[in-house]
Amino acid sequence: MSELTHASTQKRFIGGQLLGSSQLVLGAILAVLCIAISIAAPQFYSEANIIAILRQCALVLIVASGMTMLIITAEVDLSVGASLAFVGCIGMAVLNSTHSLALGMLAALAFAGGVGLFNGLVVTRLRVNSLIATIGTMMMLQGGVYLFTREAVQNHNQLASFTDLGAGYVGAVPVPVILAALIFVVAYVTLRFTTLGRYLYAVGANEKAVRLSGLRSERLKLLAFVVTGLCVGVAGMILSSLMNAGQPTAGRGFELTVIAAVILGGTSLLGGRGSLFGTLLGVLVLKVIDNGIIILGWNQDLQMVVPGIVIILATYLDIIRNKANVR
Amino acid sequence: MSLASTASAKDQPSMLARLFARQELALLVCLILVLAFFSITVENFFSVRNMTNVLGQASLALTAGIGCAIVFISGEVDISIGSLLATIALPLIIIMNDTNSLLLGVGGALLFGLIIGVVNGYLVAYAGINSLIVTLGTMFIMRGGVYLYTGQRAIPDDASLDSFIALSDGRLFNIVPYSAVIAIALLVAFGYMMQHRPFGRQIYAVGGNQEVARLAGYDVRRVKFICFIISALLATVAGIILAARVGSAQHTAGLNFEFQVVAATVLGGVSLAGGIGSLTGMALGVLILQFLSNGLRGLGLPTEWQLVITGMIIIAAVAFDEAKRRRANGG
Repeated sequence: MSELTHASTQKRFIGGQLLGSSQLVLGAILAVLCIAISIAAPQFYSEANIIAILRQCALVLIVASGMTMLIITAEVDLSVGASLAFVGCIGMAVLNSTHSLALGMLAALAFAGGVGLFNGLVVTRLRVNSLIATIGTMMMLQGGVYLFTREAVQNHNQLASFTDLGAGYVGAVPVPVILAALIFVVAYVTLRFTTLGRYLYAVGANEKAVRLSGLRSERLKLLAFVVTGLCVGVAGMILSSLMNAGQPTAGRGFELTVIAAVILGGTSLLGGRGSLFGTLLGVLVLKVIDNGIIILGWNQDLQMVVPGIVIILATYLDIIRNKANVR
Repeated sequence: MSLASTASAKDQPSMLARLFARQELALLVCLILVLAFFSITVENFFSVRNMTNVLGQASLALTAGIGCAIVFISGEVDISIGSLLATIALPLIIIMNDTNSLLLGVGGALLFGLIIGVVNGYLVAYAGINSLIVTLGTMFIMRGGVYLYTGQRAIPDDASLDSFIALSDGRLFNIVPYSAVIAIALLVAFGYMMQHRPFGRQIYAVGGNQEVARLAGYDVRRVKFICFIISALLATVAGIILAARVGSAQHTAGLNFEFQVVAATVLGGVSLAGGIGSLTGMALGVLILQFLSNGLRGLGLPTEWQLVITGMIIIAAVAFDEAKRRRANGG
């Protein structure tokens, strides 16, 4: 098996991206986790539990889809957690005053997209390092949301369509999971099968070469920031629907979970390398661990410790595999 | 600094231009402007009491900022320092409660900090894992570990040693808080190391161009390894000061602290790309943000506004710096 992948990665590196080295490691980790947990707790494979896992994956996957694109272009956005909370509050406030899900959703998307646009402009026009720029935006949003509302924005008119956004089902599948799947597929197809996707990889791999070949690398990066923002908009509305309120304290540490999932999926922080399929696996691994800790009745604080170990370990295994391949 | 300053000396012949091109001077002007503005608008802002108070508050970020800046200059990042603050408070408080000895408590805390630094440094320098990933991971592990161990409750300092309390309340000659004295002493010592010792030059060289540094015969891995240990030990000192100030080991201590320190360090002109910046710049960055937040509070603005304004200033400062650098490089 290892020889087979060894040969294929050397011959066709692009083809290796679908099931690259890190995905293989990750898939194995996921399989081991699922088997181990289901032996210890058979209820792991119950329908209710699987749906619970998928629902928890949905929020992270939605934002991680945008974040994967962004990190592939060699930028990062740390403001998504703070934005998530702000978006929920704004969406809920608009919903309360207009009684229209469409307008609430529009406001949420406009705000989150605006935040992404702002981040993108600061990074591409003012040339501020994205780590710093988005820490700055994070601070502004964290402060701003408390200036906007000191307490949770309650859901006043209980629109059925809004409640369905977080808690509804189509058949047996929760609505958030369907939304996440849709966004994931669109992002996946864009990255893998379109010229735009290839440009995004190119910008991350070698921005100078992209600019010299006549493409506007700034536009591509800007686009990735806006897409990430819009994903936050969708996730923010789902979250406020699930909580039945816009919580200014929501989303603390969410940015780190999302970035952890993307990195775990093998997307390089240096840009130009990574895949959405890996991100999906990364999200699944993190959430299966979370779920396992709960159903095994372990201390929930382990939900912070274990992902930390997994991120470092998975990256290390990836490095070892790469070294072995080179040899 | 040696590499950067010799380069700029060649590019800019005029002494005056060279002075103004220096990051530190621009920052000093900013600091003076901030001080002047709040001295006029806020009563009692420019009093010895308030100035020294702010200095005491700034001592945490100053101390940890030294390590953060050194790691940045070596071309890496360390975002685990916030969680480290909470982690090392545990051995500190527990050992002090058991033995009634400040020395043993501090020793235990430093030993813990050393171990964390060795782990971070080993994983980055020798295992070759991206430092953002490593320190993101250890940040999660440490915070989760503290939650696990404490059950999300604070552990109070039962020993209440006078020497420990003096760390937060005590003032040298009844004027300068001891915490600020510690921070300034460390700043001077490490500033001297960075500018005048071979090891400091090695750090700049490694961060400036790793390949060149390696060819010049520097042990790049060892330099980075030691930088992470320095960072962890300095964050430990900051954690000890914080524990003294709150009188307990708080499981939430240092949440978002890493972002504040990173922001101040970058504001101080220390580049994330490595090889550029100075500890003086970092210290000025910390002081600007601290006086700003103190002054805004004096104006009666809610703390949320401080966050918003700090965020804007960080972006503006880095953008301004970047524009200046591009102009210097001819577009």
